[in-house]
Amino acid sequence: MAKKPIYTQDDLIVLIRERNQKAFTYLYDNYSKALFGVIHSIVNSQEEAEDVLQNTFVKIWNNFASYEEAKGRLYTWMLNIARNMAIDSTRSKHEKIKTKIQSTSDTVYQKNNLVVDDSSHESIGLKTILNSLKEEHKLIIDLAYFEGYTQEEISKKLNIPLGTVKTKVRQAILTLRGLTKTEFLQ
Amino acid sequence: MNVKEVISSGLLESYVLGTTSAVENDFVHDLCKKDPSLIKEIELIEEALIKYSSQTNNEINIEIKHKIEEKLFSVTNHETPNEASVIQLKDQTKIIRLYKLGIAASVVFITTTVFYILSLQDKLNKTTDKLAQTTTSKINAEEELLTQQASLIILTSKLDILSDPKVKTIALKGMNSLESKSALVHWNPTSEDVYFNSLSLPASPTNKQYQLWAIVDGKPVDAGIIELNSDSTFQKMKAIKNAQAFAVTIEKVGGSVAPTMETMCLLGNV
Repeated sequence: MAKKPIYTQDDLIVLIRERNQKAFTYLYDNYSKALFGVIHSIVNSQEEAEDVLQNTFVKIWNNFASYEEAKGRLYTWMLNIARNMAIDSTRSKHEKIKTKIQSTSDTVYQKNNLVVDDSSHESIGLKTILNSLKEEHKLIIDLAYFEGYTQEEISKKLNIPLGTVKTKVRQAILTLRGLTKTEFLQ
Repeated sequence: MNVKEVISSGLLESYVLGTTSAVENDFVHDLCKKDPSLIKEIELIEEALIKYSSQTNNEINIEIKHKIEEKLFSVTNHETPNEASVIQLKDQTKIIRLYKLGIAASVVFITTTVFYILSLQDKLNKTTDKLAQTTTSKINAEEELLTQQASLIILTSKLDILSDPKVKTIALKGMNSLESKSALVHWNPTSEDVYFNSLSLPASPTNKQYQLWAIVDGKPVDAGIIELNSDSTFQKMKAIKNAQAFAVTIEKVGGSVAPTMETMCLLGNV
């Protein structure tokens, strides 16, 4: 078997621009699980999450011309696509159900309900890593990572100061990295 | 903000999470250009998040990958079905004569075919084995070819960077402990990009690292730490605007603020 190469983000971008199939394989093998986790936490259904994942990768590949390195990481860009497609999918599903039940509007309520419902994360079934994360850290990370909340929005929603949100996001990620704060500050 | 302040501010975390503003994105991007070591920090944050959301109990159906590949890469050839041929009726006697001839021919055909099939059976078994072997090696070869194509594309993109007429290649000559060694610096004064090609540089002494310096108006400016453990011989260093020379010293792990002149081991003028 040929040994699996490791590409840097720069190399990977060059390969995707060349429409190289190896680049797709690499993207899928390295990022599909992570994106699937995000999508699944939003749509909360295996089948729907798989559909959204498929559409996400097709969109990533076909719309790659719109990715600009100067505007952010490749993973962040893919994450945004995955998040938006998952939210769109849930929204359209909700709307379909809604129009069946009641023909009135109130989509604003729907939308808020969508992003605020924290119970939807439970199905992600995070194992070992999760246990190392404090409950409040997990809540903040999930809002930022899975729902795309800005730190200002988290601050408002949880009614805690912006500075605290910043610190907690950083502490949570340091925990995920397996670092304690003191270790890092050396 | 200096690099350490940026790291501890939480900005990089937001950057990876995709919740930073356009201005902040520009700021981080510029900073990474000036100091590529920041990219490592960003990669570690990204890795942590990827690991976090990958920890799911729900496995993705393996078919999904193939489905996407089919959508993106398969060359679909729509075969048009053969048009049904129209058989015209001949007259009766002709048909009966044809029947007789047909039956006789069929008997001969079937007998020969049976013998033929039996003799082929053995050959077929052998061929199937061979084919299976060949298919496996073909798949491996195709895989290898794709990998090679990919590395060729990457190499070409690096060659493109170097073929820019603005790029100056500076040969650093070994001195003191590294007298017989050399290395190259590729520097584009316009884009300020600096690349280090370690050539035959030996591993640094234990607990030490090579550090690149640009000599600007007689003063050394930190151009970053040289990573020899990575397999790339073509490392992007910190951006440098003006330089009259480049030098490499041996420093403690993590680098130093000012170079240790006694440990200078490579030097080259622009």
